Amino acid sequence: MIIEISHFLSILSTGLFFLVGSFALTTNNTPYTSNLISRTYSHAFLFLSSSFLIYIWLAITDNFSVQYIANHSNSALPTFYKISSIWSAHEGSMFLWIFFLALWGFIFNIKIKNAEILKPKTMGIISLIIVGFLLFLLITSNPFITILPIAPLNGADINPVLQDPALAIHPPTLYLGYVGFVIPFACSLAFLINGDPDAKWEKLVNKWSVSAWVFLTVGITLGSWWAYYELGWGGYWFWDPVENVALMPWLAATAFLHSLSVSIKSSQLRTWTILLSITVFSLSLFGAFIVRSGIIDSVHSFANDPQRGLYLLAFIAVIIAASLSLFVSRLSLIKPSGNIKTFSKQSFISINNIFFVTLIFSVMLGVTYPLIYEYLYDQKISVGAPFYNAIFIPIVILASIFLFFSVDSKWSRSIDFRIFTKPIVLSLFFALTSTFAIYFIFKTNNIAILLTIFTGLIVIIRYLIEVWTALVYKKYLNVFSAIAHFALGLLLVSISFNSLLSTERALNIKINEFEEYKDLTIYFKDIRVRKDSNYDAIKAEFNIKDKYGNNFDLSPEKRRYFTRGQITTETAIYISPLRDIYLTIGDQLEDGSWIVNVQINFLIRWIWFSACLMAFAGIVLIFSNRKSNI
Amino acid sequence: MNPTRKKRLYRVLVVFLFSISGVSLILYSLNSNLDYFFTPTELKSVNIPSEKRIKIGGMVLEDSVKRYGPEISFIISDYENSINVVFEGIVPDLFKEGSGVVALGFIKNEIFYAEEVLAKHDENYMPPNLDLKNDN
Repeated sequence: MIIEISHFLSILSTGLFFLVGSFALTTNNTPYTSNLISRTYSHAFLFLSSSFLIYIWLAITDNFSVQYIANHSNSALPTFYKISSIWSAHEGSMFLWIFFLALWGFIFNIKIKNAEILKPKTMGIISLIIVGFLLFLLITSNPFITILPIAPLNGADINPVLQDPALAIHPPTLYLGYVGFVIPFACSLAFLINGDPDAKWEKLVNKWSVSAWVFLTVGITLGSWWAYYELGWGGYWFWDPVENVALMPWLAATAFLHSLSVSIKSSQLRTWTILLSITVFSLSLFGAFIVRSGIIDSVHSFANDPQRGLYLLAFIAVIIAASLSLFVSRLSLIKPSGNIKTFSKQSFISINNIFFVTLIFSVMLGVTYPLIYEYLYDQKISVGAPFYNAIFIPIVILASIFLFFSVDSKWSRSIDFRIFTKPIVLSLFFALTSTFAIYFIFKTNNIAILLTIFTGLIVIIRYLIEVWTALVYKKYLNVFSAIAHFALGLLLVSISFNSLLSTERALNIKINEFEEYKDLTIYFKDIRVRKDSNYDAIKAEFNIKDKYGNNFDLSPEKRRYFTRGQITTETAIYISPLRDIYLTIGDQLEDGSWIVNVQINFLIRWIWFSACLMAFAGIVLIFSNRKSNI
Repeated sequence: MNPTRKKRLYRVLVVFLFSISGVSLILYSLNSNLDYFFTPTELKSVNIPSEKRIKIGGMVLEDSVKRYGPEISFIISDYENSINVVFEGIVPDLFKEGSGVVALGFIKNEIFYAEEVLAKHDENYMPPNLDLKNDN
């Protein structure tokens, strides 16, 4: 009965959201209608959230007459994982996605006053998008299907690699980021529909966009971290199609935030900002399509169901076509407000946007080209890291150099461009000396890495000087921009050192023997079999000494889970500020020795730290009181 | 043409030329970095330069896995043709004889030197282009 109530509530909310959407888009703004729209939206959200909360309750109480819960949860799981089992597969994660979509709309509905002229249409557009997704959920991937009359006793087991705290919070964070961009998207469309060129939609969505961007940044970082230690990928980024479809909205969103800052400040680049807001949201939907349709092989692709893919593709096509035709028909609305002056802050941000769009285009090409190629030539291909490196390294280096010179630029003024100001010379000097030092210490001839380190360093030092002058001479400092760009510099330096210094090696080692690798002395103490409630495991014990006098034990495992017979590798990682020692164990050889893979990963923690620092910069902006600074 | 229009035309042309050259650069780098995928049978009919990185996929032939220290050698087969593969390192958890595998690497003297051996986090995964029953 309770299942049917949850099901019914979600159907009811679909109808109500449809009412809000169609009413909001067909009526004119009056205080009465905007009040009505706001209230009806809240009720629709109440129904949807009740439906979702009941669903969580069903999962917690092991209601295995729900097929989805029976297939993805187990009575032996801790409550935390019973909840996270909801988003461990397709139907449930779609449900979560829709709930978050409606939640953003709901918070927007509460926070923004009804008098805001763009609000009713914004709520209407959000509602229609929710309806599209709810229909997708209820028609093609219904999570409420029941197994009657006899429900299984204990349920199934969720995939052991998914039983992990990072994974339990990674999808929700990422989804909050993805769907959060519905706010700027809906607002920009509302602006176009409303037809009042003086409506300041950009100002309205600024903090909302930054919030969504923060979630997206943290979500991607969590995913990278999880793949590193739980999947045993041993690195931070693999250009996996699913990583790429998360990277595209992030790049677009970052470009959008830059462009938005210009539009808020000086009403320039307005068409561009609108176009980017449409792009960000379309790319988020495209990500959902790629992951859900199973069109591309990846760890993330769930069930391979053509019907789902087709529905989503049609839905995305409708949204993009509708928003672009609206955009074109209202193009005359946005009056050009003067040319952008050379060497003004706006000019630098425009250049930055061109770089970002090039990156997005390249990633999109890398993701879709194999599909097109196979269709045309009946030949399977894949696009790997070499392509992305060939594109990203030069563009990121160029963009960072422009960023470095943009620090001195001013809004709307073309400064008399002097290359040799004191901060620039100082940063160049220190960065150049350090890069030369690195060149001599590590004896590398890799120009790409040295250049990336150099550009990372000039950005870091330039912003440190900015912070210093702000503290000492009380000069104005845009804290958000300073932290975010400092983090970018740190990210570049960490990534460069990681690829310069990190090494790995498969060793062949017997019990009670020592092996040397680089500065490590690895002693194989013992290996034993241990049993746990839902798996048995081979657990190897190593003692490792390094040249710094550290002495530590690492115990990598290989597990076999009873319910699925699935074998997983549990990595053992020794974390220190500069490097990770990362151990995995392989098979036993005929002579009784074991294969052990040793990785030394330099500065990998710094990569994630830099990403978190970027997200932190966003939080600083959200909680700052200044109205319009980016 | 009046001067403003002329100016605008130049501007459009410059933007157009830049985009074209940018796109062709990207496409060029894409084309030189593609990894082609072959089954052992398809390999017979094509000629691949030894420095070209490719992917091959098929089944790990039964009783073909041999280990020499950290090195492992096995045969990837589609039960019509097969190729010897050498790899150093730990093979994925789902790697076993008689199940599907994809390897990324180079061919040299009829031997495939794999840089990476991939297996999916899915017990029922089959490499593309193979219509074999996975019966394990």
